[in-house]
Order: sequence, then structure tokens, then C-alpha cells
Amino acid sequence: MSYECCWFNQERSPLECPNIEEGEEYLYSSPRKRFVEKCIDCSWFQRDLATLPENDSFRQIINALRDEYKEQKGQLQSMSDFLSSKSREIRFLHELSLVLQASMELDEILSVAMTAITSGKGFGMNRAFLLMLDRERKNLVGHLGVGPRNYEEAWRIWDEVDQSNFSLTELSREFYKKKLSSEKAKFQDILEKLTVSRDDTGHIFNRALQERRSILIEHAFEDPQVDPKLAQILGVSRFLVMPLISRNRSIGVLLADNFVTNNPISPRDLQSLQIFAFPVAFAIERASLYERLQEEVENQLKANQKLQEQQDLIIKMEKMAVVGRITASIAHSIRNPLAAIGGFARALLKNGDIEQKKEYLEFILSEANRLDDVLEEVLNYSEAQHPVMDRWDVNQLASAVTAEMKPRLEEMHIAVDLRLAAELPTACLDYKQIAYCLRTIINYVAVDQPAVDRIEVTTSQRGDRIMLCINDRGVALSEEIKQALLTPFMATETLGQGVGLPLCKIILERHGSSFEIEDRPDGGTQFCIVLQQQKEEQDNEPNTDCG
Amino acid sequence: MNRILIVDDEASIRLLYSQELTDEGYTVDAAGTIAAALALLKENTYAVVLLDIKLKNESGLDLLQSLVRERHDMAVILSTAFSCYKDDFSAWLADSYVVKSSDMQELKDEIKRLIEKKRAR
Repeated sequence: MSYECCWFNQERSPLECPNIEEGEEYLYSSPRKRFVEKCIDCSWFQRDLATLPENDSFRQIINALRDEYKEQKGQLQSMSDFLSSKSREIRFLHELSLVLQASMELDEILSVAMTAITSGKGFGMNRAFLLMLDRERKNLVGHLGVGPRNYEEAWRIWDEVDQSNFSLTELSREFYKKKLSSEKAKFQDILEKLTVSRDDTGHIFNRALQERRSILIEHAFEDPQVDPKLAQILGVSRFLVMPLISRNRSIGVLLADNFVTNNPISPRDLQSLQIFAFPVAFAIERASLYERLQEEVENQLKANQKLQEQQDLIIKMEKMAVVGRITASIAHSIRNPLAAIGGFARALLKNGDIEQKKEYLEFILSEANRLDDVLEEVLNYSEAQHPVMDRWDVNQLASAVTAEMKPRLEEMHIAVDLRLAAELPTACLDYKQIAYCLRTIINYVAVDQPAVDRIEVTTSQRGDRIMLCINDRGVALSEEIKQALLTPFMATETLGQGVGLPLCKIILERHGSSFEIEDRPDGGTQFCIVLQQQKEEQDNEPNTDCG
Repeated sequence: MNRILIVDDEASIRLLYSQELTDEGYTVDAAGTIAAALALLKENTYAVVLLDIKLKNESGLDLLQSLVRERHDMAVILSTAFSCYKDDFSAWLADSYVVKSSDMQELKDEIKRLIEKKRAR
């Protein structure tokens, strides 16, 4: 008996096998695989089997084995399909997680999600719509639609996708860059109509969110739980409503359908999409929060900028106010003596007795001296900006200034005590300016502090600071007066009062030192020039020659 | 005879104004502080008070307010070295103001005008 089957027919080479197709050439060299894949259904084998009598036990056993084999093969195929479906899900989720980790951009995340749902390399749905809760969380608003609007567009898009051979990530990136805005516009009419209030609790979208589960609608036009208008808007009888919930917070709803192919949506599709929906919801929420955070940061930056502008304006206005006070002070200080000098000069031109003329001339001289003082003060104020630093003995400075002022103070019946610290280190200072400060303070105490009959000038060392203090036992000063004394041109009675003590403060600040006015515990006030002890390196003073 | 009170903390200005206004035929008193001015106001009646705004540690505007409240028959001229007083509403209560100058003609004219105005009432 001769058999057709290549296993027993020596004249037949496996290369003649009619079942092996292009791409399956490897089966020629692998008899075992060839047997499993092809031989059981091979027409040669079938015909060889048919030559046996019907009641032949061997033929019956072979038939039974063949049927069992087909059954097992079918199950294997089913499991293989299941595995590839799961593998595809894992791949999507992996790709999605990569994008989620890398992106905070809401639109980019939506592009990936919508591409994954509608791409053949993804879940392969024809169309998808995303509705998101608005800021007030009162409405589900149509946000984005993806997919073809009609059959022609569908075939064109799918053809393009087939030819492009892009991965899912590449497809979504392409979509994000080139198509997102046009897709939004394309479905604008449908998106507007899909918008629904959260108060409409019976609506299928709200139900999916409330019940936290996906709902598969098979017969939208007949289903009583579906608003007939919704079925009409979508134009399909079968669609899927998937809630997007991150933790316990509702984000929105995803709609998907097979508008073009009208393919069924299987429970397995439903399950896969549900798994997919969870990270999408999480990513959308995170991106939305990030977007809002960015807005807040931007608002904050704008507010800060505005605040800065306001502060700059205030500083500018303060400077202008100081300029105004300076002008007023100088005008006042000059006009009074000028009016007197001019007035007396005019009077002298008229007739008058000798005594009167003498008195007028004395006033003219005195007022001219005042103008000299005004000029001196203005120049001092200007010179304070450029101190000439050198090492000086503060005790020597205090002694010299006190000695110089003593006769005048005695005329005013004010005694001066000098108490100097032994072994005082030198200080880096502008002698002329510090001497001016000391003179100005003593003069202020003598002239303007009421009830002063004794002034004490002391030097001492406190840590690395050298204190040069002027003490009186007069009336204590209020905080307001202390503040006013250190603000330039606050007092405009004379320029000396207007600028004297504030100028001391400016001079000392430029020395890296300070000016302190404190109440004395036993009554009166202590004015202290706080100088820094001479250091090894004087690197913070541009004009210094010390060091 | 019309009596004028000068309130100014500058001794030179007090002397100059006193002499000039005396030469014009007025009876002139002068005060360097508000206290001294109030003492003179208690004793005498003045047709015009010539008031400096910035006294040493006081404000002439304080005296102006009490003059306006209590002495309706007196004219007050604010005399000042600078024009900042315009920022203070209380300065508006005065009948007139002059900025200090070596040429006193404006001040003299103003005094004359206010006295004539008072006579016409």
C-alpha cells in the first residue's frame, strides 16, 4: 500500500508540502514542529487515513486523537490570545507610566491616553471622548475628542498609521505636537453637547462616577438608562462609559466606541480599559494640580513683581520727600538770613543814627556767618559720602575736640568732664568727620537739650567696638524725638538741626560704625559713636587707607 | 493808631520788621515765642498779627487757630521763609501770607490792604 503522506512516502520530499506558507520555511527542517503545526490537518494525511476501513480501530483512535488535538490547540490559541492581550496592556501601562513620570503637561498626558485607546497598537477603539469636571466641580465638560468623524477619514487615518509604523509613544507624541488642537476643534460641537451637569444624577456619566464602575451600553437607542439625546449625539448604539477616579476624587469620564467598524466591545476590552483608566486618572489629576500650581506660582510672581514695583515707588517717593525736605530746609535756612541782610542793607541806605547803623551791621555780619554755616553743612553732607580713612587714637580725638569746645561751653555755663579709657586701641576713621560728629553732638546737647549744666565725654572698649559717648543729665528724649533726630532735614528750623545728627548717622554708617541714642538709667541721655576697632584687614571700605 | 504784633523767633527779623513798620507809622510789638505772643495779646488789641509759621520748637499755625477762634477782629498775615505751609490746611485760615524777602514792600502793602478792608466793614 502506498501513502501520500510524506512521512511514509520515500518519493515525496517535505519540500513539496502544500501546507507550508511563505515565512514558515523553518518547518522544513523541523519535523516535530511541522507535525504539530501542519500534518494533523494535511490533506495527504487525511486521504491516507480515509483509505482505512471505517470500523478500523486504528482509524478511530487516530480520529479521536486528532479531535482532542484540535480541541487542545484551540484552547492553547485562546490562552495565547489572552497572554498577548495582557502583554499589550502591560506594554501600554509601561509606556504610559514612562510618560507619566516624565510629563506634568496635561495635554501631553491626554494625548498618550487618547492615542492608546484609539490606536490599533493600543486598545483599537474607533473613537474616544474625554469629559472633565470643571473647577467648580459642577459640570462634566467635554474636553477632547479623538478619532475619525466619518468613514473616509477613518480609512485615511488608519492607512497613514499603518504606513508610519510608529510605536504608541511616537504616535502619541505626533498627536500631541501636530493634531491635538485640530482634534479639539474637530469635535467641538459634540464636546459641547456632551457636557452635563453633576446635578443630573440619573445621567449615565454621573452614574458611572457615582458607582465607580465602567458601564457598557449595547443598545443605546433602546436602553432606558441612556438619554436618547446622548445616543443621537454619538450616533452609535454600542459604547463604553469609563469613570476616571484618582483615589476618591472624581476627575472625569472617558467615552469610547467603534463608530466606524461597529465591532463589539468585549468584557475583556472593558476590563483592560478599566485597568488602563486608573493611572490615566491619576496622571490627569496630577497634571491638573500641577497646572493650577503653575498658575498660582505665576500669580504669586506677578504679585511679587507688583509689590516690588510698589516698594520701589515708595522708596522713590521717600527719596523725593527727602529732597523736598532738603530743599525746604535750605530755602528756610538761607531765606531768613538773606531777608535780614537785605532788609538791613536797605535800611542802612536810608537815614539812621550811628548806633542804629552799628546794630544793623552787626546783624548783617551775624546773618552772613549763618549763611557760611549753612554752606559748611551742605558741603559736609556731600563730603560724608567720601571719607578718608586712617588709623587714629580716639582718646586724642576726644581730647582735642573737647578742648576746642570748652571755652564756648563755659560761656554757656556748662561744665565738661573727660573720662578716657586707658590703652584704647586705634580705630580706622576719617578724623575730620568723626571730630565733626563729636562736635555736633556736644553742640546739640549744649544748645537744644533743656536743663543741661554738665556734659561728660567718655571713651571705652566693648569687645571689638570702641565707644565714644556724650552723656548729659538733662531731660530724657521720647522715642519719636530720637527717631526724628536721626532723620535728615526733619527739623527745618536751622540747617544745623536739620542735618547735624542725621549727618553723624550717615558718616558713621559709612565708617561701618553706628550711632546710638539711649536713655541713661540715672536720668538724661547718652549719645554714643560706636567705632570698630582697627582690624588686620580692612576690606569692606573702598576709601580706606588703614589695614 | 494801628497796632501790629510780630511773632518770629529770629531776632534779626523781629528787629528789621519792627523798625520798618514803626517807620511806616504803626505801633509795633514783637514776640519770639507763642507764650510771649499770647501775653501781649492779652494786654493789647492788634489790627494785624504778622506770624511766622516755623518758630523754634513751635508752630505758628497753632497760634493761628486760636487767633481765628477768639479774635475775629484781627487780621493775620503768615510770614514764612518757604512755601510748604500751603500743604497744611490750617494755613488757609490766615487772611494773607507773604514770603520773607529783603524787600518789605509787599508786606507793607498787604498790611495796608487788610487794615483798609477792616475799616470798610
